[in-house]
Amino acid sequence: MMNPDIINIQNLCCGYPNFQLSAINIDIPKGSFAGIIGPNGSGKTTLFRAITGTLGIKSGKILLGDKNLRSLSPRLRAQNIAIVSQFIDAGDMSVEDYVLLGRIPYHSRFSFFESEEDYSIARKYMEMTDTLRFKDQLMSELSGGEQQLAAIARALTQQPELLLLDEPTSHLDITHQVHILNLLQQLNQEMGLSVLMVIHDLNLASEYCDRLILVNRGKIHTQGTPEEVLTFKHIEDVYQTVVVTQANPLSGKPAVFLATRKVLKEIQEKPADKQEK
Amino acid sequence: MQKKYLRWAFYLAGLFVLLIASVILSLSVGEMNLGFSDIFSILRKGNDSMEYTILSQIRLPRVLLGIAVGGSLSLSGVLLQGVYRNPLVEPYTLGISGGASLGVAFAIVFGLHKLIGSFVLPMTGFAGAFLIIFLVYTISSRSGRINIQSMLLTGVMISFIASSSMMLLMATTSSENLHGIVFWIMGSLDEPDRSLIYITLILAFASLVASYLFVQPLNALRLGEEKAKHLGINTDTTIKLLFLLASLLAGVCVAVAGVIGFVGLIIPHLMRLLVGSDYRILLVSSFLSGSVFLVLSDVIARTIISPNELPIGVITGIVGGIVFLLMMSRSSVQSLKNN
Amino acid sequence: MKKTSFIVFVLLACQLIVQAQEAKRIISLVPWVTKSLYLMGEQDQLVGCTNYCPAEASDHIPVVANAMMVNIEKVLTLNPDLVLASSLNKPETIDILRKLGIKVVSQPYPKSFEEICSYFIQIGEMVGQPAKANEIVAQQKARLAKLKANVPDGKNPKVFIQIGAKPLFCAIPETFMEDFIQFSGGKNIAEELKMGSVTREYVLKQNPDIIFIVTMGIVAQEEKDTWLSYQALSASKSRKIFILDADKTCSPTPILFVDALEEMIKLMY
Repeated sequence: MMNPDIINIQNLCCGYPNFQLSAINIDIPKGSFAGIIGPNGSGKTTLFRAITGTLGIKSGKILLGDKNLRSLSPRLRAQNIAIVSQFIDAGDMSVEDYVLLGRIPYHSRFSFFESEEDYSIARKYMEMTDTLRFKDQLMSELSGGEQQLAAIARALTQQPELLLLDEPTSHLDITHQVHILNLLQQLNQEMGLSVLMVIHDLNLASEYCDRLILVNRGKIHTQGTPEEVLTFKHIEDVYQTVVVTQANPLSGKPAVFLATRKVLKEIQEKPADKQEK
Repeated sequence: MQKKYLRWAFYLAGLFVLLIASVILSLSVGEMNLGFSDIFSILRKGNDSMEYTILSQIRLPRVLLGIAVGGSLSLSGVLLQGVYRNPLVEPYTLGISGGASLGVAFAIVFGLHKLIGSFVLPMTGFAGAFLIIFLVYTISSRSGRINIQSMLLTGVMISFIASSSMMLLMATTSSENLHGIVFWIMGSLDEPDRSLIYITLILAFASLVASYLFVQPLNALRLGEEKAKHLGINTDTTIKLLFLLASLLAGVCVAVAGVIGFVGLIIPHLMRLLVGSDYRILLVSSFLSGSVFLVLSDVIARTIISPNELPIGVITGIVGGIVFLLMMSRSSVQSLKNN
Repeated sequence: MKKTSFIVFVLLACQLIVQAQEAKRIISLVPWVTKSLYLMGEQDQLVGCTNYCPAEASDHIPVVANAMMVNIEKVLTLNPDLVLASSLNKPETIDILRKLGIKVVSQPYPKSFEEICSYFIQIGEMVGQPAKANEIVAQQKARLAKLKANVPDGKNPKVFIQIGAKPLFCAIPETFMEDFIQFSGGKNIAEELKMGSVTREYVLKQNPDIIFIVTMGIVAQEEKDTWLSYQALSASKSRKIFILDADKTCSPTPILFVDALEEMIKLMY
């Protein structure tokens, strides 16, 4: 039977001498828009690295559809998974040349020039990410948000089944954050592209992801829909911070509100309102 | 899309013309200045005249060796800079010249070349270079995976050890040997053994062709080792092979022609500024311009204080350094930091 | 009776004192000076030499210097009366030794046969053998005159003396090697040069009739083969390319000079 999931992680143990992930089990169905959330040092990045292949596995399995990820050659892996890192450091190449690098997994060792097909695929995705107008500029001349879009275009030219992103919005302003996430959502819904991203912002995660994986101290704390995961109890357990969760009036998704020290003091001084928490 | 390839073809053509012009210049200039048209008639007549002897047995071999060594050193520099993503890396930063110099010093001090013959010097030079390459390679791949930064540090450290050992040898030997060692180190294209020149030439071109098998990995590596891996490149294998190719190539050059510095450092940078960082054009451009540079430097080395001859390393260092500083002050420093 | 014996006693004592003054402790920092001392029979006065002095010295006598450095401490402990140096030693070394109260006499590298002789005599005077030194010089000058007389007239071949390979080095005027060429009736192809490192092309252009290669070991043979392969070269056509022993040719002592010259003339004609 064909695996309905794009990613299955079974009993994964991996990590570094001073930090380990253990007994990780994750299921992500095909066509999901999934987010990995959790506090700093919880193991989000470690998990991400295990999936991208940068970090070796001690025990357990990662399945990409029906295939064991570790058994895939780097080429095949790059044809199935495309990765967008947090910082793009592409230097002096033109945007078009950078995006064309995404076609490498499809080139034979001896192919020297890019084909017409490569160029049209690259142009298509640049247009989709609104970066076609930059195609002859140097990557270093673009703003952070624009570089991120170019990186997504590059990832798309790899024509992957799964797009992996590492904190794609953490260093961007709201405009770019929304722009990029909207684009990802569009790709997910219209092209059926599975998306898995590591993300800090709980509210953005809630708005865009249909599946969340909450990581804490090297283990999975909870996984499920935003409604299931983003309860104030879970958040307080994991983040050790007092919060209030309510349905977002615009979308109905859970929204997380921080309780600042001032607010907490006020609440403590009004014992009657404490019940409402 | 067409524009890029047209530009490349244009650069290539230009460099070829420049190379041919340099070769002709080098063949004409010297103690006896030969006219351009004379060269062909002399070569065709091929008699026992002094002109023919000078042309065919002295100038032509030097030109061929200059092309081979200049091209190889530049190619080696380009490859290493691509692997290490560090603009200060050149074949000699990694201790290759130190090892070769040590090998040659060893041979001279223990009189091996007096016992066996002159060809022992390129052999010990190469053996010394190879030893260093081997050491750096095994030390840095001990953990199984290549750590680029540690390779660089290991190479630099080993290079210091090699040069100190060489100074130890130099301090304890006769002044005649000393003179021989020092002059060998300063580099020269004067190599009477024709077979060595042909070997170097063949290796140079073979390496150029071989390096083109790595253009894709090299272009991917411009993004960094990890991101190249994400694009499906087997970076460990690529880095190991490129390191070996570049080092062995440089080792052969040092063994045959002594230490000719700066070529492997300056030419790649110059070419990056002129033709861009795409390795498809960068590799061959660096090779050709390295050849031009060394052939022209050789012309200067043997004519500037004629009839005496300067070591060619002096010319490459001074002229190369000045030319490079001029180019750098024009374009922004940023271009140096980015691949 | 008592008066005469007293006078004899005083005379004997004086002679002993004079001889004692001449029994010096000498350190030679120069190989050919060491050689000169041997020629004069004064090697017993030698208490220190360099590690590249002739083996007859460096095998028995303490070594105080190598190519790059002089061991000043060792020189001090050997308590020399005289240190012989040359312009090839570092000036700082000579300064230091002088400041420590040691008598250092430094001779420049001889530029001609005349200078070789006069320096040789100078050494003889310093070690108390002026007569012997003068005798040797006179003998060699006589030999030289005979050799010069026997040189065939009007030939004037162009001569190239190669003293180094990698880099190519030739003998230039203002060295005693020039005298080899002059006395044998030849013409140095490098007469206008001030520096010895030349290109092969230059040598070919000058087209010497005779080439002397003065390097050691197999390198000399390789150089000879290389020159022979240039068929347009005059010396190669007449096959007048010879290898000379560097020890004999490059040591500026009167005897060796004339020996070497004799050999060269024989080969040339």
